[in-house]
Amino acid sequence: MLNDKLSKLRFMGLFLTLFLVLISTGTMLVRGLNLGIDFTGGFITEFSTSQSIEPSKMEQALQAHIVGKFELTSAEDSTNWTVRQPELLSDGTKNDLLTSNAWLKNLQESVLVEKSNITIIPLDSDYIGTQIGQELIEQGGLAMLTALIMILVYLSMRFEWRFALGSVLALFHDIVVVIGIFAWTQLEFNLTVLASMLAIIGYSLNDSIIVADRIRESMKLNQGESLSHVINAAIRSTLTRTLITSGTTLATIGSLWWLAGAPLEGFSVALFFGIFVGTLSSICISATFPELTGLKVDYYQIKEQEARELQESI
Amino acid sequence: MKTYPKNYGYSASNRTSKWQYLIIAVALIFMALSALPNFFPKKQRLLIHSNGAEKAAIQASELYTQLADANLPVNAINSTEQGSELYFANLSDAKKAYERLVQVYGDEYTIMKSEKSGIPQWLVELGLEPIKLGLDLRGGVLFILDVDGDKAFSDRIVHIRDSVKSITRDNKIRDVNVAIANKEQVVVNIYQPQNLQKVAAEIQNRFPLLSMFYESDTQLKLFYAAAAKNSFHQEIMSQSLSTMRGRIEELGITEAVVQRQGRDRIRIELPGASNPDDVRPIIGATASLQFFQLQERGGKYFKTESGESIAVSPVPIFSGKHIKNAKAGRDEMGMPLVHLTLDAIGGDKMLRFSARNIGKPMVTVFSEYYQNTSGETLKKEKVISVATIQAQLGSRFSITHLSSPEKAQELALLLRAGSLDAPITIAKERTINATLGEKNIENGMAALTLGIGVTLLFMIAWYRQLGVIANVALSFNLLCLLGLMSLLPGAVLTLPGIAGFVLTVGMAVDTNVLIFERIKEELKRGRAVSIAVEQGYKNAFATILDANITTLLTALILYAIGYGPVKGFAITLGLGVLTSMFTGVFISKVLTRLFYTNSNSRREKGVMA
Repeated sequence: MLNDKLSKLRFMGLFLTLFLVLISTGTMLVRGLNLGIDFTGGFITEFSTSQSIEPSKMEQALQAHIVGKFELTSAEDSTNWTVRQPELLSDGTKNDLLTSNAWLKNLQESVLVEKSNITIIPLDSDYIGTQIGQELIEQGGLAMLTALIMILVYLSMRFEWRFALGSVLALFHDIVVVIGIFAWTQLEFNLTVLASMLAIIGYSLNDSIIVADRIRESMKLNQGESLSHVINAAIRSTLTRTLITSGTTLATIGSLWWLAGAPLEGFSVALFFGIFVGTLSSICISATFPELTGLKVDYYQIKEQEARELQESI
Repeated sequence: MKTYPKNYGYSASNRTSKWQYLIIAVALIFMALSALPNFFPKKQRLLIHSNGAEKAAIQASELYTQLADANLPVNAINSTEQGSELYFANLSDAKKAYERLVQVYGDEYTIMKSEKSGIPQWLVELGLEPIKLGLDLRGGVLFILDVDGDKAFSDRIVHIRDSVKSITRDNKIRDVNVAIANKEQVVVNIYQPQNLQKVAAEIQNRFPLLSMFYESDTQLKLFYAAAAKNSFHQEIMSQSLSTMRGRIEELGITEAVVQRQGRDRIRIELPGASNPDDVRPIIGATASLQFFQLQERGGKYFKTESGESIAVSPVPIFSGKHIKNAKAGRDEMGMPLVHLTLDAIGGDKMLRFSARNIGKPMVTVFSEYYQNTSGETLKKEKVISVATIQAQLGSRFSITHLSSPEKAQELALLLRAGSLDAPITIAKERTINATLGEKNIENGMAALTLGIGVTLLFMIAWYRQLGVIANVALSFNLLCLLGLMSLLPGAVLTLPGIAGFVLTVGMAVDTNVLIFERIKEELKRGRAVSIAVEQGYKNAFATILDANITTLLTALILYAIGYGPVKGFAITLGLGVLTSMFTGVFISKVLTRLFYTNSNSRREKGVMA
């Protein structure tokens, strides 16, 4: 009874993940990603102030004047400032060099009101290209692809191709869903978020392998139970571990999300949901996929017997 | 199962041998020492000197009252004859005090802000340093480079002229006049129309983007149309960008930001580089290497070091862009040299050329742009070697006759990082502050502390005594990771690196959870504690190995092929896997044995189950 229920849950979960992937792909196509300046390039404006100002105060002052998002850095003890703005505003209209630094004049007036003896000296304004060149995007894509293939090969060697493909599919699901969340919320997708995607890959794989490993072990020791039963038993016996590990990791990321504030928001959101769906997919996809594609429950026993026979014949 | 002799845990295979303790002790001490510099915060200090000798140093008590009047806290004041040193708890206190003191004493005293490393001298002498923080966490150095695309363009025009000359010579065409007009055009005069057409076809073949215009049957103008000139410029810019990325990566700075700025500028932000002097010569150099065939007369002339003038074919056999790898080394005689590995195209060219020219000399020319005193950009070309080709050369060979091992190192670095066709000058150089700001980093650290704290508490609540072991292992893990990151010169901690950190903590906990769950399972089956512990570790190990090897594989690939932030992440992740294997499996196994094989099994069972 319990076994049937768990199998049902797993298959329902599989449909849920499929549904999530479809929704995410749809959202991505309709809304697109809100790419950060790292990816899009944009405008850079530099100015200096006659006195040092707290960066947080400057940020607040700028927020009142600049339409759309921007990035602020300071230099020379907060007297030299750099503002980066994306080329495309969030409503899709194009920013240009002229409007992109029109705020500088307004800022002069506002800061003057606030602190009477500060003058703002415009230094430079220019268009900047993306931080990631075309060749680097290609390189990054190549890195991902190579990583995936190597993982497939390694896992196929250690397990069976169905487990390997299942794990890679689960990983694919996690990435697509997280990208879908970014398309949905329109949170900025920047290099940091990209890095957290890489972390999700690592985590998702880890999860899938641990379940797969237990399934393999149970298959070797199995005495006449069905594959579905073996898989369910393996999931049940790793469930505590899965919940503890995911729970503690989510706690760490949750506190980042809660305490670290805006600069780490995208980063923690990506990791949080990535690990959440990663846990789900390790059970629903990577453990269920081999069953769907017709893995025989006595696969490892036959293999071991063959190995024994081979040894005896030698 | 329960009938195993009680001293099972003491059998030879289970006992922790002395060398295992030794390894753990040595590794931990070493890592703790490497991690130690991170625990000494930088001291914020103000230095006050009088402008002239006649003015005496300000009394410490006077400084203290000045600051206390303005409600500004100060940690310590150190006044001597030469001047005063004031220490503050944090940067913002130091800034406020700075503004106050400038107001009061600014006219007669020089007041300087400076950071003093808080690391004790003996650690500095051991060569230990704290972990390097990335641009987003700490700030760094900014370079803005001017790429002289016009110079590259005029070099290209000269190259076209030389190529035309060499084509006519190869085809034995006479009565030729080739000249450059308006710095943008090459005018070719050949008095036989069919010869001119033949030359035109070959030129078109070599320079597909070049436009041609027949002034007459015997005169041909070669030039770049506006679109082609533009795409030439784009090409130069993207070559310069990727060369700069390559060079910075060679320097071991993984988290640099390299962006195109405006039409012909490159913006480079280097985290962790506190000293621009180390980086400047490498970034600013526009070196390239070309290999020429020696010829009797005509073509290009070079002066060798001995002052002798030699003529080479104007078109190089191949140039630096075909160099895939370059490594400095020494030959059998101990003379410095650089080993080169060429890419497929370069290797092919070299193979064909050397097969045809065994016994003939080949000239290696190193060229570099530099600025003279009046600010003009000039090209300096130097013949590195004139060597006879002894045998057919493939994609691997060496350049010899280098003056010193240091020169060989520098040449190898520049060649590895790619060549530049356009001269580059440094237009701006500045130290910049962190993007995230001090406050945000504090928040981030507080969040990480909370997260790790929750994890530690949970482990104790769930696993009790075993939880303590897991926590000790986790703390050692963090210590080892911090130590390793501080030791490696190329490792820089950035936001993506923190992602790696979080993931590492998660996976380190996972290692212990996997083991402990196995132990619990074994106990449920009714095994004695000591056997359950051994079995738990043994069973979980295969799983842990699989999971960690896959992760390590991912980290390695990301490190090898990725760049910048991806690389930084890969470093933390890869090192984290290694340290968590060491602490999570090795150390915690030793600790668990220590706890459980020496005591009464019934009591422990109560503790663990």
